[in-house]
Amino acid sequence: MIPKETATKVFSAALRTGGDLAEIYVEDRASLSLRLEESKLEQAVRGADRGAGVRVLFGNLAAYAYTDDLSKESLLEAAHAAAAAAGGSSKTQVIGLTRRQSPLKFPVLKPFDSLSVADKAQTLHRIDETARGYDPHVSQVMAGYNELRRRVWIFNSEGLYVQDDRNMVEVRAMVLAQKDGIIQRASQGFGGQTGMELFDAHDPVAMSRELVEVAVKMLDARPAPAGEMTVVINNGWGGVLFHEACGHAMEADYVSKGSSAYTGMVGQRVASPLITAVDDGTIPGRRGSLRFDDDGTPSSRTVLIEEGILEEYMWDLVEARRMNRESTGNGRRQSFRHMPIPRMTNTYIAAGPHDPEEIIRSVKKGLYVKRLGGGQADIAKGDFVFTVTEGYLIEDGKLTAPVRGASLMGNGPKALSEIDMVGTDFALDPGQGRCGKGQWARVSLGQPTVRIPRLVVGGTEDISGPIGM
Amino acid sequence: MTDYLELTQDIVRRTAARGVEAEAIVMDRQETMIRVDRSQVEQLLRSGSKGLGVRVIDGGRVGYAYTSDLTSGSIEETWQAALALARVATPDEHRALPDPQSIPDKDLEIWDSDLSGISTEEKITFAKQVEEATLAYDPRVVMTNRCTYEDESVHVYLANSRGFAGSYGRTVVVSYVRGIGRDEGGQTMAVGLGVSNFYRDLDAQTIGQEAGQRAVQILGGQPVKTQTGSVVFDAMVTGEILSYLSMALTAEAMQRGRSFLIGKMGQQVGSDKVSLLDNGRLKRGLVSAPFDGEGVPTSATRLIDEGVLQSVIYDTYTARKDGVASTGNTQRTSHRNLPQLGPSNFYLQAGTFSPDEIIASVDRGLYVTRIMQTGGTDPITGDCSMGASGLWIENGQLVRPVSGVTVATRLSNLLQNIVAVGDDLRVVPFRGSIGAPTIRVEGVTIGGTR
Repeated sequence: MIPKETATKVFSAALRTGGDLAEIYVEDRASLSLRLEESKLEQAVRGADRGAGVRVLFGNLAAYAYTDDLSKESLLEAAHAAAAAAGGSSKTQVIGLTRRQSPLKFPVLKPFDSLSVADKAQTLHRIDETARGYDPHVSQVMAGYNELRRRVWIFNSEGLYVQDDRNMVEVRAMVLAQKDGIIQRASQGFGGQTGMELFDAHDPVAMSRELVEVAVKMLDARPAPAGEMTVVINNGWGGVLFHEACGHAMEADYVSKGSSAYTGMVGQRVASPLITAVDDGTIPGRRGSLRFDDDGTPSSRTVLIEEGILEEYMWDLVEARRMNRESTGNGRRQSFRHMPIPRMTNTYIAAGPHDPEEIIRSVKKGLYVKRLGGGQADIAKGDFVFTVTEGYLIEDGKLTAPVRGASLMGNGPKALSEIDMVGTDFALDPGQGRCGKGQWARVSLGQPTVRIPRLVVGGTEDISGPIGM
Repeated sequence: MTDYLELTQDIVRRTAARGVEAEAIVMDRQETMIRVDRSQVEQLLRSGSKGLGVRVIDGGRVGYAYTSDLTSGSIEETWQAALALARVATPDEHRALPDPQSIPDKDLEIWDSDLSGISTEEKITFAKQVEEATLAYDPRVVMTNRCTYEDESVHVYLANSRGFAGSYGRTVVVSYVRGIGRDEGGQTMAVGLGVSNFYRDLDAQTIGQEAGQRAVQILGGQPVKTQTGSVVFDAMVTGEILSYLSMALTAEAMQRGRSFLIGKMGQQVGSDKVSLLDNGRLKRGLVSAPFDGEGVPTSATRLIDEGVLQSVIYDTYTARKDGVASTGNTQRTSHRNLPQLGPSNFYLQAGTFSPDEIIASVDRGLYVTRIMQTGGTDPITGDCSMGASGLWIENGQLVRPVSGVTVATRLSNLLQNIVAVGDDLRVVPFRGSIGAPTIRVEGVTIGGTR
């Protein structure tokens, strides 16, 4: 992509003011995205995006400049711009580049262009036709297809040279149902780091039907209750709760600054003994998987919590250097326009001992969360909030009425300690996760069915009666 | 240097020669980002980038392609790709480009000509001052998180095959910090924020103090019992709620059944305290522009007037569908995105009460200074549920911190039950630019302990 001699010159320029490490991140992106609504394929977009970022580390300072022009002159200009962040003199030797290979294979069996754009559009039309034909209450269908090929080259002044190809495909759909002035929605997606073989493993038609069933069922939902109760969360995508409420607080940038609730807790009990939690960037085909992270570090499997004991945080290069240790390969960036920061990859809670049906039967009065929407957590306090997109009351061990308009509020570290039942039914999500931390990253998550004895459910149905504080 | 306006016109001419309508946009952006931690610069980014997007409309079928590579070969590939993609799209008779209209020649005051002369060192000093002010607010503010200064200068060049050609520049400067409060009871985190088109409008002291104050005042917060009653949302929180509400007030949401306000045009949808406006021509409006993302002059639209739903915002497509004129609300956040209908400077008109007067008027209720939600406020279903922290109000006084509760209502009830609107309108950069004052809402369910 860029000649080795150019890289060496760029490093020398970048390090001339006293930097410890210089890095060039080159990226070539090609994308296709299709959107359908109103039964029409309304948007068809192709994108080409190419550029490079030069990063220089000076102690705890990371300086960055990027360019969308890969000429030697532009790269040198970016190097000078990044170097200008400090005023020292050159002290770091540039080491010759050695290409490193990853043992991980993420094969693409059927390349993107093995299907025509019209074939891909046809998938969206099928989702639409299926949904509209399945129930007369369906009032709108939105469906989208995205593919993105990212080729990255990472070089640094310590001799690192890696290249990685990342192929991402995803399909998303949202169904709206309407009755008597009430609108309900259901949405889902599937995807991964694969080629067109994605469609061998996932059936868009089945997904479409399922979404209609959920949206229509929710039309008859009653307002969710408000107040504390026992909550059972479904397997698979339910793992988003751990991701937001605890996972972020185990990212090294929050930890090393002391702003995380988990700072200084390695070796201590932070969760119920039923909980083992893992971040694994090496699983083939998953959205969060990486051969090398965006610092060029090989991706790895990191046990975060083992039977309730905090084992490890998630590290990128900058935070690892700061603490004089190895990175866990969790440095990720949205594109060459961004600096890498510690991020999750594929993060999950492992299977436990309880029969999932038994978990529901064990609850006298509570909420069963079949689908969670998005969520948000406060790193410092550990509080989290999630939207319940498909929920049912549990009464005497049975699922009864569907409820709408609920959020879940709790405290991550507290909920993790209190989880008292963990199912045998571990599953990863279908491949729809996207995480925002100032930059977007595709992630995967998972868990078995879990029971949390007490969370605040934020509905509108005040079941306590009108009393004061 | 390339004349990008001429370049867009040239691309449009060549593409349209294939018998289609064509539009080209070039966006040229310079950005600075500085993040400090413990008086040290932690991240420093200074860069520029540009890109081209080409939209083709071929018999009502839309194709779009973009590139960051402005060499002639890549440009040709880009408009060819847009042409090819249009062929797979479904035709829609209302898809068309707008005819050129005269753009009012008024200085919107959206370009800070001083910004380019402000040194990186001065901006670093500013970010450090924000951190100092946060920590100086109270000894219980123990650290900051993401103490950030950012600015952006963007030049937009737009041309279409109906003869429109125009360009403008806009600057935006934003600084924010999260203050982390700590006492024996635990940690809290809260944001302070300043944003403007002009560097000199930002005040490091104000931003830092806000973060410090917000973090400290909720320290030791406990849940209250579940109950229904009065809630006062401060201006920043109101802005966050309005950013979701704004999505229900577009013609697209109405035409496609994606709004809880569908079928309510002309009706009383809110209390008489509620007047909502969208103004793309607001002087010093964060996202103001002489013309919108497809070359239509921007305008001011009264959406809800004293509670009555009067209008929604339009782009060319939705306007043609309803047989009205576009309100000039097409947004282009990047050359990578297709034109998208959305709010510009969207705001709830300020009232006459100060926030203190509003709090003093409440016998018993919750003053919310921080909410957490992702999709809990839903412009489609009208559900509205979020996590909240703040202060409990007893006899008009703020008596103790509250956290770990939810507040929930329906968006339709929220609008109807706004009984007081503050005079403290502020602008927050959520989903464009949202202006909001403090509001008091009745009949909100507060979820907490049994």
